[in-house]
Amino acid sequence: MSQPLLTENLTKTYQLGKKKLPKTALDSLNIEVPEGIIFGFLGPNGAGKTTTIKLMLDFVQPTSGSATIFGHPTTASSARSLIGYLPEQPYFHKFLKPIEVLSMHAVLAGVDRREIRKRAISCLERAGLSDYIETPIAKLSKGLTQRVGIAQAIVGDPKLLILDEPASGLDPIGRHQMRDLLLDLKNEGKTIFLSSHLLSEVESICDKVAVLKKGKMVAMGAPDSVRSSSSHVVIHTSPIDQDMLERLRFLNVSINRQSDCTVLTIDPKAIYEVMRAMEEIHLPVYKIDTQRESLEEAFLRLAA
Amino acid sequence: MTKIWTIAKMSLLENSRKQVFHVLCLLMLTVIAGSVLLSIFTDGTKLKILKDLCMTCILFGGAVLAIALGSTGIPNDVEQRTLYPIIARPVGRAQYVVGKFLGTLLTVSMGVLVMATVFGVLVYSFQHGFDKFLPLATLFALMEVAVIAALATAISTIATPAVSAVVTFLVYICGTIKIGYFGGLIEQATSGAAKAVYSVVYHALPNLECFNLKTALVHSDKVPIAYLVQVALYGLCYAAFVLFLGSLNFARKEV
Repeated sequence: MSQPLLTENLTKTYQLGKKKLPKTALDSLNIEVPEGIIFGFLGPNGAGKTTTIKLMLDFVQPTSGSATIFGHPTTASSARSLIGYLPEQPYFHKFLKPIEVLSMHAVLAGVDRREIRKRAISCLERAGLSDYIETPIAKLSKGLTQRVGIAQAIVGDPKLLILDEPASGLDPIGRHQMRDLLLDLKNEGKTIFLSSHLLSEVESICDKVAVLKKGKMVAMGAPDSVRSSSSHVVIHTSPIDQDMLERLRFLNVSINRQSDCTVLTIDPKAIYEVMRAMEEIHLPVYKIDTQRESLEEAFLRLAA
Repeated sequence: MTKIWTIAKMSLLENSRKQVFHVLCLLMLTVIAGSVLLSIFTDGTKLKILKDLCMTCILFGGAVLAIALGSTGIPNDVEQRTLYPIIARPVGRAQYVVGKFLGTLLTVSMGVLVMATVFGVLVYSFQHGFDKFLPLATLFALMEVAVIAALATAISTIATPAVSAVVTFLVYICGTIKIGYFGGLIEQATSGAAKAVYSVVYHALPNLECFNLKTALVHSDKVPIAYLVQVALYGLCYAAFVLFLGSLNFARKEV
């Protein structure tokens, strides 16, 4: 079976402005998304995430390179019959009701005519919209509209889901439900390509991540392999004044001043030196711990 | 075909909620109703004036509606991003363009049929009988609308709504005066180059006057069936060709 998603040297250059100045939005991207996983696609704004998604969906044509969906070139209609897509901030005609949006998309996805209504209702229920099936989109909040978008993405029972910021506009309960839904879909054998800024979400559910920076991929692998293997020491101490702050700064300590305490993050090799300095200025140690780099920290290190 | 029909249905629902559709329909209906007053003052020829005015309203109103709706449908979907989830489906870009065109045509047809119904009722009340030629004249007005809607839809794949509306309106005006004006230019041209340019323009422009059966309706003239078939085929082919060009362009368009 072919890979759900494979790109080979995928490059996109836009011609910008009146002078048609070339701007490379994506530079030789090579990614492989194995079947049945949740793949996190990360990068700061303007890194090329949306361009990559647009290339996968044939919204724009690559300058060079290629991409395939389950072995089908992205230009083929057969590739799109295997995809469910949730755009960032989905827009639907406001006069329609969620059931009408889903029914329309079910038809376009090629769902059997006799099954359309049943499938639409089931997807709306999965997205947590049981009470809003007949409510016009115009009367739905941003978060509820986002849920309509999610239901729309799964209505065709796709093998590959491409989700652009699926948790955008959702409240904490909604995000939790979204995470559960994505894990359920993964357990059903779906492959999920997830572009998101919520790194804690990505870290908790993704099997593999790729980090993009200025159109180039800077890291790819399991979240564990993307994070730095080295750990650091975290010391919680009392709130500190400016003098103490200046003193500690010389020791290459990352200082996070909070209302009730100060958190010092240091390299394990520097621990004795820092402890000595803390003793000299009479800083108490509330708590001491070792911590591995989080995905967010890895993201900042790689993409900032 | 199911996919095209689904897009057309959605486009119909969207267009029929637009203010421009309601305003133009009401305006044309007011003029059609007002034509009764005008014809009262011209005794003897009042029925002819009524038919002339009402048919002009239907033709012009239908054309303006087709331009207003046809040139905004696709650009609005692109701008509001309602297009994305649709073309992310196994739907060809050509299917999308044809669906949008059909949606526009169905909406304008709804407006034209309402106008034609009011017109028919007025004619009935004046001549105490049904004018059998009226449905045929309306059908050919709808064919003209189809050609204009196809042009507006195709142009909107390359231009902004404002530009495509202006260009389509210009083509509509030129297409209406094609035979008289551009035909005359070809005859009067002295140089070969000018003649060639005028000929190209002449053949590229749609002949919209051929769909206008107003004169035959007003004077109760007979129109040969062969001519009607020929005009219908011409309209169908022209609209199909223009949509083909529009689809071809939209297929390569980056959205």
